[in-house]
Amino acid sequence: MPSNWPQSDTAGGGAAAPRPWWLGGLVIALGCVCLYGAFSLPQAARYAGVGPGLFVTLVGSGLVLLGLLLLMQIARGEKFVPQDTEDASGSDKADMTAFLTALAAAIVPVLTIEALGVPFTAMLSFTLVARAFGSRKTVIDLITGAILGSLAWLLFTQLGLQIGSFLPLAGI
Amino acid sequence: METFSLLLQGFEVALQPINLFWALVGSVLGTAIGILPGIGPALTIALLLPVTISVAPTSAFIMFAGVLYGAMYGGSTTSILINTPGEAGSMMTALEGNKMARAGRGASALATAAIGSFVAGTIATLALTFAAPAIAEIAFYFRPADYFALTVLAFTSMAVVMGTSRVRGFISLFLGLALGLIGIDQMTGQARLTFGVPGLFDGMELAVVLVSLFAVGEILYVASRYRKNSSEIIPIRGQIWMSREDWKRSWKPWLRGASLGFPIGALPGGGSEIPTMLSYTLERKLTKHPEEFGKGAIEGVAGPEAANNAAAAGILIPLLTLGLPTSATAAVLLAAFQNYGLQPGPFLFSSNPQLVWGLIASLYVGNAMLLVLNLPLVGIWVRLLSIPAPQLYGGILVFATIGIWGVANSLVDVIAMVIIGVAGYVMRVYDFPIAPVLIGLILGPMAEQQLRTALAAGQGNPIMLVSTPLSVIFLTIAALFLLAPLLLRRLRANA
Repeated sequence: MPSNWPQSDTAGGGAAAPRPWWLGGLVIALGCVCLYGAFSLPQAARYAGVGPGLFVTLVGSGLVLLGLLLLMQIARGEKFVPQDTEDASGSDKADMTAFLTALAAAIVPVLTIEALGVPFTAMLSFTLVARAFGSRKTVIDLITGAILGSLAWLLFTQLGLQIGSFLPLAGI
Repeated sequence: METFSLLLQGFEVALQPINLFWALVGSVLGTAIGILPGIGPALTIALLLPVTISVAPTSAFIMFAGVLYGAMYGGSTTSILINTPGEAGSMMTALEGNKMARAGRGASALATAAIGSFVAGTIATLALTFAAPAIAEIAFYFRPADYFALTVLAFTSMAVVMGTSRVRGFISLFLGLALGLIGIDQMTGQARLTFGVPGLFDGMELAVVLVSLFAVGEILYVASRYRKNSSEIIPIRGQIWMSREDWKRSWKPWLRGASLGFPIGALPGGGSEIPTMLSYTLERKLTKHPEEFGKGAIEGVAGPEAANNAAAAGILIPLLTLGLPTSATAAVLLAAFQNYGLQPGPFLFSSNPQLVWGLIASLYVGNAMLLVLNLPLVGIWVRLLSIPAPQLYGGILVFATIGIWGVANSLVDVIAMVIIGVAGYVMRVYDFPIAPVLIGLILGPMAEQQLRTALAAGQGNPIMLVSTPLSVIFLTIAALFLLAPLLLRRLRANA
């Protein structure tokens, strides 16, 4: 385990902050969403004894409880060591520009995949990810992304998968 | 005797040209993704799920098995040649294997890894061949309460064993359980946790969650902390084969590794990390050359590699016989079964013997194929590592997006990809294990159904849940899993 893990950072991303209270809060909030959803469901059915709401209540309560436990751990100074994976070291400081560029690449499909189709979306996403990883050959990346997206579109369409037309906006 | 004739029938299925073709596709893909960073067998199978519409189930599972085994062969190659274990299971291999490669013995290391994987894979498949029908036979008598207790045991062991903290393991599990609740309740037809969004009525697909966590989460995380891998590929000198001495030092570790890997792999939460670590420790203790450990001892490659491969066959035992997935890869295989409308479990052996035995036979075939693919061609495989990271990760996102969009052409899924992807990033930064999310997502609905069926049988009396001896045993073990670390700590404090 790396011993020189970062000691401070902003919440919401980056390296592990020493007291990420928001993390416990988030788990509790998710539990509350479940409990809110369970509120409108019958907890018990007439014969079965258990209704569709019981399991939701159990899971929601579990999350709230676990969130509280996590908060207690955080209060006691629990350390969060970022995971080591291939090509990335948990002990390195987070590069937020690269993170946001990669995040933009993941958001692109939400905006374009329906209207502009898979190949065009692939071109943009591919280029943004490549940029996040330090590539500055934008034109080449755009071309590579477009070719890759078109080939993948062709392959999956051939396999019988419905992934929309080539360029829906142009009617192709 | 019956098992033999069933296995022979399985070979008839597995050796059909079309199935051999799919086994080859799977093995090639598996080896490739095992070598490439950022993509593992679970993600690959999830992205291949769409082929289940156009490919027959037997062929598809034969291909998936090829991916599962191939990934391990590929993983050992990178561990040895560039000291980057792709998965937890090949961490131990890197320890000695890379040292061997540096000392000019890379060829022997690759050979003992590949042949050891073949030997262990074959032994484990043999064990699977005979153990699976026997366990399936017992599982015939499982009542809903037993199944519910078994899922509780699987949940607890998974949340406790995976990752570094029990609380975080359980949070991962409960997030998966919550995701599994979204959609129309199967027993009453009521919409749950959909909050009026029609796109959520069909629930969250495992493929969407898995791809978001493993592909998008990983891309975000690696992008934010990207460090160019400076370790060079160590060139291999001479032919890839082993000397007499190497054989002599390898065969026992292979057998020991296989006998550790298979049973531990079959346990919920067992995985491949524990058996490979145990095998390494064991070989280090038993070796006649202790001075070589840490400097490139062949036993330290042979044992863990064998354990790793045997563990992979082990996960198929609970999956095929009980319908119980014990790893992310097993979870996605279960999703593939469900895509075909099949439910793994004891009934699968009687209702689809062709599929089950074809799959088991294909494991023998796949192992042989991988040995041939990997040993002479290792030089070609390592060239994959020359794909630059920016383009590699760009490609992974493209395929991930298509995989998610292809599930239902639903924008809700694509939005979920972003949200769950960010969650995957946060989980990596704060060290939450990922696999329990997937296990909770796929097993949660089953656990709930068994719970409700069991309770319905007793008019809602919770005593029904402990009405059979098996359910009591399973729940007790689950409680022990939960409490054991606490008790151990207390004992140590008192000592």
